[in-house]
Amino acid sequence: MVTELNERTFDAFIEGNKTVLIDCWAPWCRPCRMLTPIIEELEKELKGKVAVAKLNTDENMGISARFGINAIPTLLVFKDGVMYEPLIGLRPKEEIRQYVLDI
Amino acid sequence: MDIIIIGAGPAGIQAAIHAARGKRSVVIIGKRANSAMYGAHVENYFGIPGKTDGSDILNNGIAQAKAFGAEHLEENVIGMEHSNDMFSVTTENGSTVTAKAVILAPGISRVKLNVPGEKEFFGKGVSYCAACDCNFYKGKRVAIIGDESEAAASAELMTKYASKVYWVTKETKASEMMIKKAKDSGAEMIDEKAAEIIGEGNKVTKLMFSDRSMINVDGVFIELGARSSSDLAMDIGVMPETDGTIKVNEKCETSVKGVYACGDVTGRPWQIAKAVGQGAVAGMNATEYIKGEKNVR
Repeated sequence: MVTELNERTFDAFIEGNKTVLIDCWAPWCRPCRMLTPIIEELEKELKGKVAVAKLNTDENMGISARFGINAIPTLLVFKDGVMYEPLIGLRPKEEIRQYVLDI
Repeated sequence: MDIIIIGAGPAGIQAAIHAARGKRSVVIIGKRANSAMYGAHVENYFGIPGKTDGSDILNNGIAQAKAFGAEHLEENVIGMEHSNDMFSVTTENGSTVTAKAVILAPGISRVKLNVPGEKEFFGKGVSYCAACDCNFYKGKRVAIIGDESEAAASAELMTKYASKVYWVTKETKASEMMIKKAKDSGAEMIDEKAAEIIGEGNKVTKLMFSDRSMINVDGVFIELGARSSSDLAMDIGVMPETDGTIKVNEKCETSVKGVYACGDVTGRPWQIAKAVGQGAVAGMNATEYIKGEKNVR
């Protein structure tokens, strides 16, 4: 299961893991639903290398505003607490994997 | 109806010809002008020498399908549903058609507007999915760009969130019903062509038209063409690939029973010959499915 983050757990998750990939989604967003199985697979495949989590933007608008998210799906990427350029829109699995492993 | 075919391009028309000849009741729903073949010069299709206007071939095809008993609705689809082994399709004029099988042949649609600022501000005010991103524009000013009913639907949706909604449509092709809905919701129609998306820092601030006039906006939603094939497929439980294509087997069956796909929507090569070939396969197999017999190959 991919960890669901919220306003309360968000910062601790980033601080507690070296490389972090967060899938920002909302229930009515169809491209987000297309991305969900990819994120679930990546969570398993990248275990030990990248910590993968999900964030419902609808329920956590504060975080969306903080990180300037105004399109979903958006993948937020952090390494050692530093934010890298997010991946916006539906992307193929390999592109996502390569991006997070290369940073 | 036995079979609803979404898309009036070579794949959909060929499917209709096979299904109608197989004595099934068939309706093709789609605008011919949305086919990539419409207005194109065809010179690599067997038996049609020289440069032939694709529109003529499509018109002949529709007439041929009709002669076998198929119906054609020259309309875009705005929504689909799947329940109890039946499929229902709603068109932009408000009619609903139900059937036991669906053949998806919508082609692939152009999504990019190709104006300066579009790529630069993607995710920073530029969006291709109003339904996904509406919540981020509460109380803001937005423009929807697009000429079909899908853009009208997005404009109507955005009026529930944004403080001001412009619907930018040069010579709109949306249905009367959808235009009325968008207008009634409070969206302001602008009869101009979008020329540039302008921003400051990492935020969209303005949309400029080809006459160099501008409007102040926080968001620009690009909704060109008819409803996307991936969206339609998901309406009835077919999960598309990340590139928007729909996976089919050698019988043109999708992952959902009773749903077939053919033509450009199944992936490359984007050729009339391949579309027609798959259309025939989908049409024949949907026909057999309705008869309750074993599918043919």
